[in-house]
Amino acid sequence: MTLAPDTFAYVADLVRRRSALNLQSGKEYLVESRLLPLARAEGRDVDAYVRALRAAPHPTTLETVVEALTTNETSWFRDSQPFKALVDHVVPAVTSASAHLPLAARPPLRIWSAACSSGQEPYSIAMALADAVPLTQLRIIATDLSQRMVERGRAGRYSQLEVNRGLPAPMLVKHFSRAGAEWEVAAGLRNAVRFERHNLLDAPPVGGPFDVVFMRNVLIYFDLAAKREALARVRRVLKPGGYLLLGAAETTIGVDEAWDRVPVGGGSIYRLTPGRAA
Amino acid sequence: MRALVIDDSRTMRRIIAGVLRPLGFETVEAGDGREALDLLEAGADVDLACIDWNMPVMNGLEFVSAVRDNRDWRDVTLMMVTTESEHSQIVRALAAGAHEYVIKPFTADAIRDKLQLLGLVPFEESV
Amino acid sequence: MKLDLDYAVFAGTDPIYEIADEVFTAMIDGEQGLLSLWEGEVPPFARQMHAWVDVHGAISGRVLLSTEQATAEHLTRALLGMTPDEPVADGDIVDALGEVANVVGGNVKALVPDPGALSLPQVTHERPPTDPESLLYELALCWRGQLLVITLWSLA
Repeated sequence: MTLAPDTFAYVADLVRRRSALNLQSGKEYLVESRLLPLARAEGRDVDAYVRALRAAPHPTTLETVVEALTTNETSWFRDSQPFKALVDHVVPAVTSASAHLPLAARPPLRIWSAACSSGQEPYSIAMALADAVPLTQLRIIATDLSQRMVERGRAGRYSQLEVNRGLPAPMLVKHFSRAGAEWEVAAGLRNAVRFERHNLLDAPPVGGPFDVVFMRNVLIYFDLAAKREALARVRRVLKPGGYLLLGAAETTIGVDEAWDRVPVGGGSIYRLTPGRAA
Repeated sequence: MRALVIDDSRTMRRIIAGVLRPLGFETVEAGDGREALDLLEAGADVDLACIDWNMPVMNGLEFVSAVRDNRDWRDVTLMMVTTESEHSQIVRALAAGAHEYVIKPFTADAIRDKLQLLGLVPFEESV
Repeated sequence: MKLDLDYAVFAGTDPIYEIADEVFTAMIDGEQGLLSLWEGEVPPFARQMHAWVDVHGAISGRVLLSTEQATAEHLTRALLGMTPDEPVADGDIVDALGEVANVVGGNVKALVPDPGALSLPQVTHERPPTDPESLLYELALCWRGQLLVITLWSLA
């Protein structure tokens, strides 16, 4: 079945606006395969499904469509640049005050990975920092709304297809061992990450105040009021001068004034403006 | 960009070439490590080699070692694409000088991800 | 002879089914859901095709993939992303089925402790001779309504 051109155009535009994912021509097969299960569930083909959606664009359905196109984007070290920024810029900045102290006297580095899905992000953070920071000095809290995702993260087991996604082979051999048909994160790394179920619009998770918060590619699904609310809650659990890392196409600008944008390596990270915590 | 696709399976060569072309690579193919070395020795200028492990005449590991022993080919990025997926095998390949390792079965996204890590394909917000 | 896999590690799942599922999801169908367990009687093949790889090491065994000729052709078309009107040569089908056996077999090899060397795939229209006593495992799969059987044999 070939997709009607305006079906593809509509979906590509919707996805680009909602998630910054850029579906170029040639990707019609992807739209078709990702939306087919949704369309079939309603006894329709994809063109009919999208026509119905355009006639009655219910927010939940729109979100479902966007998610169907953007899931499986859970790769390791997603976009690469934020992890480089973490190692090269953020960690030296937040640990500079205590760098002169003996190791035992330094406070641990506290990082929150919000909306962590199946755990690739918090484990990528741990792997990125494993050479720079002793694992005993690392406290990563990883939260997700889904109990199933939290359990997956805790288990630290990934399929061959999942470990093929953006994980440098040297990291794979260093931090994973085979477990049957799957790969398992090494115990030392698993112990550095604590997974908890959490809603971004609720009271903050345990484990703070944090030096760094990763909240990547989740605000795009929120309206402006919810974005502001989520960012306000992050401010309350971030240490003075702490950093926020967002998704590649996300920004605090126009949403929340309490942040300084710091350009790093072709992207941006956000530092809590001193005096703007709560 | 040019890529050398080395696999004794014609099917697999076609699949890999099909993934690489939209990413901006011209492809040349070889059915084993010896054929691939012959192409390099004849002056084929490649940026990337995608290499299967188990092949007749000369296997992928032997090819990797041969390339890394030759200064003329030091700029060729070497990526294994193989079913060999034991931890010890991956260690062996990296020790022999492979830069990256893709386990079969793979998706087009997986190859693109690895090429982005290697700096051969740009990072952009696109599928 | 028992296949010496640490079943505790698999926590109730079938690792060989998982492997087949990954191969089909990643490379043949592009999505999950088109492969499932075959239900009911396993009918004999009318026009057979068989592809296998052998593992030689501490444990020696054969991973054999058996199916209808027509199914092998459909697999080839799916693997290569061919349109229904594109002609597919016998040589393409032999190569494609061999490669599927290679990928499945290679991943099965990795399940076993101290794995050995993987042979190059072989493809025939006649079933390779097998000793019923040597059968370790059998999995009948349904792919888009078509039958595919994976069997594991010990090679003493």
